Amino acid sequence: MLRIKNLHTYYGRIKALENVSIHVRRGEIVSLIGANGAGKTTMLNTISGLLPAAKGDIYFHDKKLNGRQAEKIVGAGISQVPQGRQIFGPLTVLENLQLGAYLRYKNKETDAIEEDLAWIFKLFPRLKERIKQIAGTLSGGEQQMLAIGRALMARPKLLLLDEPSMGLAPLIVKDIMNTISALRENGMTILIVEQNARASLKISDRGYVLETGRVILQGSSEDLLNDGDVKRAYLGKDYKTFCEGREKV
Amino acid sequence: MSVRNGENERMQREELEQVQLERLQSTLNRAYKNVTFYKKQFDEHGIHPGAVSSVQDIAALPFTTRKDLGDNYPYGLFAVPLRDIVRISPSSGTTLKPVVIGYTKGDLKVRDTITARFLEAGGVTEADIVQICLNPGLSGWGRALKEGAEYIGASVMPMSNMSTKKQLMAMEDYKTSALLTTPSYALHILDVMEAIAMDKNRLALKAIIVAGETLTEEGRKTLRTALGAAVTAGYGPSDVTGPGVAFECGGDSGLHVSEDHFVLEIVDPQTGRPCPQGQQGEVVLTTLTAKAFPLIRFRTGDMACAITAPCSCGRTFFRISPITGHTGEILTIRGVKAHPSQIAQMLEAQTPSGVTPPRFLVHVFKESHLDMIEVWLEMTGSLFSDEVKEVEATLMKLRKQMFQTLGLEVTIKMMEAATLDRFGLPSGGVVDDR
Repeated sequence: MLRIKNLHTYYGRIKALENVSIHVRRGEIVSLIGANGAGKTTMLNTISGLLPAAKGDIYFHDKKLNGRQAEKIVGAGISQVPQGRQIFGPLTVLENLQLGAYLRYKNKETDAIEEDLAWIFKLFPRLKERIKQIAGTLSGGEQQMLAIGRALMARPKLLLLDEPSMGLAPLIVKDIMNTISALRENGMTILIVEQNARASLKISDRGYVLETGRVILQGSSEDLLNDGDVKRAYLGKDYKTFCEGREKV
Repeated sequence: MSVRNGENERMQREELEQVQLERLQSTLNRAYKNVTFYKKQFDEHGIHPGAVSSVQDIAALPFTTRKDLGDNYPYGLFAVPLRDIVRISPSSGTTLKPVVIGYTKGDLKVRDTITARFLEAGGVTEADIVQICLNPGLSGWGRALKEGAEYIGASVMPMSNMSTKKQLMAMEDYKTSALLTTPSYALHILDVMEAIAMDKNRLALKAIIVAGETLTEEGRKTLRTALGAAVTAGYGPSDVTGPGVAFECGGDSGLHVSEDHFVLEIVDPQTGRPCPQGQQGEVVLTTLTAKAFPLIRFRTGDMACAITAPCSCGRTFFRISPITGHTGEILTIRGVKAHPSQIAQMLEAQTPSGVTPPRFLVHVFKESHLDMIEVWLEMTGSLFSDEVKEVEATLMKLRKQMFQTLGLEVTIKMMEAATLDRFGLPSGGVVDDR
């Protein structure tokens, strides 16, 4: 569904991504994991057209996306849930969701939008309870649900999630991850960027590990969860005691 | 039963190339970051892994040779810390030092899926009773095949040092349905069956899967007729990979390359440039999924040509011809790779310093279908004394050492200098009578 070849992205003269190739098949959840500054968000922003690709190709359903404007990319079926939610705080929950369908209102798809709203309220009953509440007053977890709901209102085929677990309590993270799994059950394809590698790999099929703008490892989520490098760097497992003495061999 | 990554075998070429590119790029990034040898190689050639933007770009990267493997003995080419290694697997290599291959847990799992794919293509299922007959020099493969067959769920009899007669007894009594061995040993089994007047109907074999040597069409026919079993072959350089890098499918001729795990190139052994389509050249391998021991453009020394026409079996992996020969002086004896320089180095070590070690020739021939190796050693004072006892002791020591290094039984024959001269070969030359 999504095929990226040899992507290079710069911030001014700073190289943020170097020769990155990844793909996402229909119906998959794929994780991009890596430390702070590895290029994960840059990757999503380049796909969604917020950042220009200096080199490389992005194909979505075999159509080239590079160079297209962000709103055209939304129209093509890719929606991004940005890092830190970025919901419209002063607006109500409903207004936020409606804004997500902005392009579709222009196309007068009113009935379909109503259907989708009902679907989203089924997915996130909490949002329905707070339909008229000002979004800025929602809890972190609720705001994340709203951000996902708003992205879904564009009826994407591919959902890009940027750090959905950021700043949330472990129990809420579990909730959000379960919701993402449920979305896939409903046929959604998802590319998720996370620092919480364990949580996102657990619900993913495959993953890529980014380090200083390059992919250094990729494989099935199960393999990555069991990989020594990944455990040490991103899963926080402490190997120090175990390793001492073995290194000297 | 379908192997976990079985769907890859029928992937569209475009998708396969994407998977290959992704795996190649991450392999190169990792090797460059974690292996000093590769970093140095790339830097010296002025190439950065970031410049590889297609699988074809691999042709610009430097080669890795067997000498490099020997030079970096034991752990120099490992791309993960030792604490992530769960298996250390030495093979005889082709220098005096063995080659040490490390596997992470994940690597072993990948190897199992590759081996299982090869065995399944040869007809092995979970209902089979599998018997593995290999010589000690191929013990690494013995383990790979055992684990691959177990992964499928078959009942496996691992390799052992039983005599051929005993192997046949087990084959009959245990109702072995799949035999995994080398082509020459399979043919040798036929000879032994004839000698002990054993009828093929006493065996339950339905599949014979061979690797390590080239299976000739004549050999295949003989085995199929004599044992009434399907005969398929696999390929892999035994010193660095498992036996299923490429495998026959029972469809059209040739061996499918497991392209989701390896990039296989055919290059001109002289110039190192890619060979034109269909032309014979040296097999060069790059691993795509090995974590602990990545190989980048490894020169196998095996000669073959590529077959790009689609296969009737539906697999999209391209095929190679059976191995038609070897470059240089690399010998393949019963599937084990050896180099005359290994013998030269052993002789040198035995000779007192300052004395020239005796000259020798390597004689390779067949006896009852099995490869035999003889070392013809020049009678000189440098290694041997007038005392028969001492000579015998030296010979015994050399034989033992050769077995330990090569994993092969080697016969040593003493020769007059004049007899050796008759062959007109330099010391270390090979007389191949196979």
